[in-house]
Amino acid sequence: MTRRRSGPLTRARLASRLIGLASLLAAALLVGLANGAGEVSLARWLPWTPPLDPIERAILIDVRLPRVLLAALVGGALTVAGVAFQALLRNPLADPYVLGVSGGASLGGVVAVVLGVGGSGALAGLGVPAFAFGGALGALLLIERIATIGGRLTVYTVLLTGAIFNATTAAGIYLIQSLASLEELHAIVFYLMGHIPSLPLAALALLAPVLILGVLALWSLARSFNALALGEEGATQVGVDVRRVKRQTILLGSLITALAVSLAGLIGFVGLIVPHLLRLALGPDHRLLIPAGFLCGAAFLVLADLIARVLVLPAELPVGVVTALIGGPFFLMLLRSHRGAHGFA
Amino acid sequence: MLGRCALAVAALAVACGPDANERTKPDRATEPRIVALAPAASEMLVALGAEDRIVGIGNWVREPEQLLRLPRVGAYDTPNIERLIELGATLVVTADSQAAAAAHARLESLGVSVLALNTDTHEGIFRSLARLGAAIGREARARELGGTMRREIDRLRVESATLPRRRVLVVVGRDPLYAAGPGSHLDEMIRVAGGVNVLEDATSSYVQASRESVLARMPEVIIDLSDNRPGALRGRQAGEWVHFDFLPAVVENRVWLVDPQRLAIPGMRLVEMSRLVARLVHPEALGAPDPHEWLVPATRR
Repeated sequence: MTRRRSGPLTRARLASRLIGLASLLAAALLVGLANGAGEVSLARWLPWTPPLDPIERAILIDVRLPRVLLAALVGGALTVAGVAFQALLRNPLADPYVLGVSGGASLGGVVAVVLGVGGSGALAGLGVPAFAFGGALGALLLIERIATIGGRLTVYTVLLTGAIFNATTAAGIYLIQSLASLEELHAIVFYLMGHIPSLPLAALALLAPVLILGVLALWSLARSFNALALGEEGATQVGVDVRRVKRQTILLGSLITALAVSLAGLIGFVGLIVPHLLRLALGPDHRLLIPAGFLCGAAFLVLADLIARVLVLPAELPVGVVTALIGGPFFLMLLRSHRGAHGFA
Repeated sequence: MLGRCALAVAALAVACGPDANERTKPDRATEPRIVALAPAASEMLVALGAEDRIVGIGNWVREPEQLLRLPRVGAYDTPNIERLIELGATLVVTADSQAAAAAHARLESLGVSVLALNTDTHEGIFRSLARLGAAIGREARARELGGTMRREIDRLRVESATLPRRRVLVVVGRDPLYAAGPGSHLDEMIRVAGGVNVLEDATSSYVQASRESVLARMPEVIIDLSDNRPGALRGRQAGEWVHFDFLPAVVENRVWLVDPQRLAIPGMRLVEMSRLVARLVHPEALGAPDPHEWLVPATRR
């Protein structure tokens, strides 16, 4: 698994690794689809079995399939955003939420909950995500404006602005919570804990291309991310337009994060630990790390959500709890056994 | 500064007992001055005929109407202690809550008695009524009320016992799906109504429920309390459950969209609530409730 010791990243090597990881994701999707509360076997999907009865159809196609697919998209998007922000900010603690997108999205979502903006008809349930997305974009524009000093975005001000913005929005959320009614309080807490909803497949069909395009656009910046490991000056010397790369990364990374957060709430750790795991396993080349991040992040969240769905049946756990409880200790163990071999160390 | 003076004066008033109270309300020197912090507490006090002893209410008390003109003194778990002292409260009746334990201890140390009631279960409600009656010297009235409520509930239980035992889902939140589990007053009401909670094997009184489990268990009655917005869809209609048209509840037309206010806080309305639930579970035998029974009057909002 350690690419660093096996020579440069050739096209063939890249392809073979990505095919391997894609099969990992395919396996995770199958496991995710095969398991759940309803006693419906995956074999029922096979074309020669009798057609699904209405209950099986509802459980498999209306509830389970969209949820598994959304978990994959959200996990992939958060991981890629994490990889990109860590590369751009040259900071191992950077995660998709570092730029204040999470704060903006949560504040927007909580405001929607309190205002009772549920959306109706075809938009049922989309009121909160829409507000969250608006909050995230607002945060992004605001932070970009504040952190741009003398026409330049410096890593230092971006990090600091994001952290302080997140703290401020957290206070805003506490303020709303302290004034909210009991029912609103429940809705807020659940929104903030992170949960993968079962969106209609049509909504997923709209969402998936946007997220995947964002990921592909970030992939196209992979060589620049590699150059940024030399520092901003070093990267400029090898011909990278650092200012442009910075702007594009912040915009694209925040956009896909905003979409993920507005739909699934705040799911922590995916965008932090999966990128680090991949750096340990695959080395520091972003041409591989970004697509690998998408595939592995997707697989990771599909499996984490499976645990959230089935561990305490007939109840469920918030998926953010699972990612942090499993991901955290696992990552610490791995970090210990790979001391010094880390992409950043 | 003014606030602090008031606090000092009021603290003195409490410290000196009835004598100092006389200065503000001489005629009530020996009567308790009660603050009803929790909604269930205010209902019980009114039922016990202690309405004219109430000098303040909690922020979430929304009825009875006649109490709403009284000063508000904070949420049940974060009472405003200064305000309570200022009002000369001698007894605070509230809900039992871990979050409020420190505030309760503080009030006791300032000489204000605190009666924290657990009204989460039927038995809790009966016990609370008896304790409250004893605390304000209306034991007989409390016993009478409690006895009537018990009898009514038992009658309902007997009435429902011969009816089909239906699988019932009570939804309290939509996304994620959040529903009543064992130990909640709603679960108890389902059982009184001769039903079985589809989530009876869950481990807590309110659960983030697995959508797949809920569908696979084929509820025959769905009582959906998840929409608390004014003007939301109400009544005997499938709402969003119509997507799952294989569910017996949808097929047999037993999905009810009810205002959460109707069933949320048990207390003196326990019998009324239990009867409503029983009629939602067995509309054909006990009579489907009229629309006004799930539409909350506008005055309460």
